Amino acid sequence: MDLTEEDNPTPQQPSTLQKKPIDGQVFKSLVESSLIWLRTNQQAINILNVFPVPDGDTGTNMVLTMQAACDEITTSPERNIGKLTRMVAHGALMGARGNSGVILSQLWRGFARALDNFETLDAKLLVDALHQGRNTAYKGVVRPVEGTILTVAKDVAAEAELAMSDTQDPYEILERIVNAAEASVIRTPDLLPVLKEAGVVDAGGKGLFVILEGMLRYIKGLPLDVISATVQPLAAMKLENSPDSIEPGQDFEVVVDFHPLQELNIPQFYEDLQNMGTSIQLGEGDGIYRMHIHVPADKLYAPIEYTQSYGVVTKAAIENLRAQMEQIEHERHSSLQLTPVEPGQIATVVVAPGPGIARVFASLGVSAIVEGGQTMNPSTQEILNAFDHLPTDQVFILPNNKNIILAAQSAAQLTVKHVTVIPSHSVPQGMAAMLRLVPSGNPEQVAAEMNSVLNDVETGEITTATRSVEIDGVHVKEGQLISLLNGKLVGASNNLKSATLRLLKEANADNFELITLFYGSGVSRLEVDAIADAIRKKFPHQEIEVQDGGQPHYQFIISLE
Amino acid sequence: MSNEDSQLGRVTISPRAIATIAYQAARQSYGVVGLTSKNLMEGITQVIVKDPTHGIEVKYDGQKIAIDIYVIIEYGTRIKSVASSVSNTVKFNVEKALGMPVEKVNVHVRGLRVSDMD
Repeated sequence: MDLTEEDNPTPQQPSTLQKKPIDGQVFKSLVESSLIWLRTNQQAINILNVFPVPDGDTGTNMVLTMQAACDEITTSPERNIGKLTRMVAHGALMGARGNSGVILSQLWRGFARALDNFETLDAKLLVDALHQGRNTAYKGVVRPVEGTILTVAKDVAAEAELAMSDTQDPYEILERIVNAAEASVIRTPDLLPVLKEAGVVDAGGKGLFVILEGMLRYIKGLPLDVISATVQPLAAMKLENSPDSIEPGQDFEVVVDFHPLQELNIPQFYEDLQNMGTSIQLGEGDGIYRMHIHVPADKLYAPIEYTQSYGVVTKAAIENLRAQMEQIEHERHSSLQLTPVEPGQIATVVVAPGPGIARVFASLGVSAIVEGGQTMNPSTQEILNAFDHLPTDQVFILPNNKNIILAAQSAAQLTVKHVTVIPSHSVPQGMAAMLRLVPSGNPEQVAAEMNSVLNDVETGEITTATRSVEIDGVHVKEGQLISLLNGKLVGASNNLKSATLRLLKEANADNFELITLFYGSGVSRLEVDAIADAIRKKFPHQEIEVQDGGQPHYQFIISLE
Repeated sequence: MSNEDSQLGRVTISPRAIATIAYQAARQSYGVVGLTSKNLMEGITQVIVKDPTHGIEVKYDGQKIAIDIYVIIEYGTRIKSVASSVSNTVKFNVEKALGMPVEKVNVHVRGLRVSDMD
């Protein structure tokens, strides 16, 4: 969603707001500010992931949870704080995603219970509500792990109580607890060794801090849609664009790699760049910095010249976003020919992680496609909607990811239609199964047939490690490309070509006939062609096919059959 | 259950050992307030004997590990999200400890505990 299109609340003068009692409508603005600030910091939270492959991103999960909470209140004129927070809690519960989302929904649940039937929020109630939130959240686990969002919630509640002896102003208490939350987040690696090992703070705890900080920033009249000056690890930078992330007038994307010759003043750097454009990101790896910005046509060269004043520019790239987006839009809307189905026939629903993969599935005869993949699991509701729109009662679903099988199964139980889950773990498995589909056949026989071929195909994947780790005896450094064969880590390499060749070697590719490469949204066709040539040289007896998969995060999904 | 042959001899890991890892991971998952037996009679005996693998079943077919977990979840949480976190946490921890892939983690929600009514 586009930040500029949010009904971004224009912050009122701090002085007037600070005297205002906190009723439902004031609190609504605070909650909405939290969401905006959380979304601004979403990527910064996502890169704190401790798991080595990109899955279940905490920042995204918390944003989706808060989004669901805000959706409940966005049109509500409710002035009663108790009733309003109850709606927030309900929304958070219904939209809770991932571990951190569930805990967040419990914090809101306790918070709302304490405010039941009160009109406005005063200092004492705030302290009470924070305590109840903490208590409810702690009840959800037998053995709480410290150094997580729970610890931050606990420290916040404790600080609120302390602050009560100094002030009766809820706004001052908010300021105190924001500081306490920040300090608590910084302490998380001391409490949880796995964080210290990975060199990060807890992502969920950081998310809670950002939510509270968003409220404070709103009160202080600080901007909510400008990222704070941070430097990310180079490998974690996410530079893909979507039509939503482009602001009107900012038609060009400029990416500059440079070696600074002097110490980089990060806040100053961000401030100067903000005068030129938007979507600013800064990454660093091995002394090389990468700067990313969207600028209008008349400032096309300004960021490059500016960066040159700091050091040596090693590479600069300019891309016309309008043209790029028009092409993406065009591809998205064209040629997705879904197969119509008659009542009584078998309709198939597939989950596809990228537009290219969706197109291939469409050509294989699927009737409905649900978008989703490794980082964005579709909800049960989205899958249910797909079932309901089909004019037949016999539905097969191919989840194409083992994390989505559960959602598919629960959707299957919730519909009146007769749904069969074909438990495909990967896109190649799903495609192999689709080839066995006979829409007018006996559903049980067809399902058995489709299930029987799932293991006839091997699945390879190449993705970027988001942190250093050792699994299955393979050492992985952050930013390296890792090769996964049927979900198992088989190698780590510094470039895409060797990662791909390594994978094919481990998979004994000589024994197969057809190797299909689905390349992801972050890889250029040029690079893919070079790699395909290298594969042809190494495996001269195999047929190599290259398809634009368009999936995020995974440079390649490879099917061997 | 065998893991691998080293030069000195075989390393074997019992399903019970795997169940203990899964049990610890499940107990630390947010939203899980208890583990319970698959059937009632077994439950009664296990209340008496404190078992570190209570509520966990590990199946191994010579190639792949499948784990079944029987849990009680806190009332008022989103059950689907909690269940998927449990399976992810258990899979991650078992794989990390064993260096062997876990094929399946089935989470069976056997009941809800109500601490607070809304």
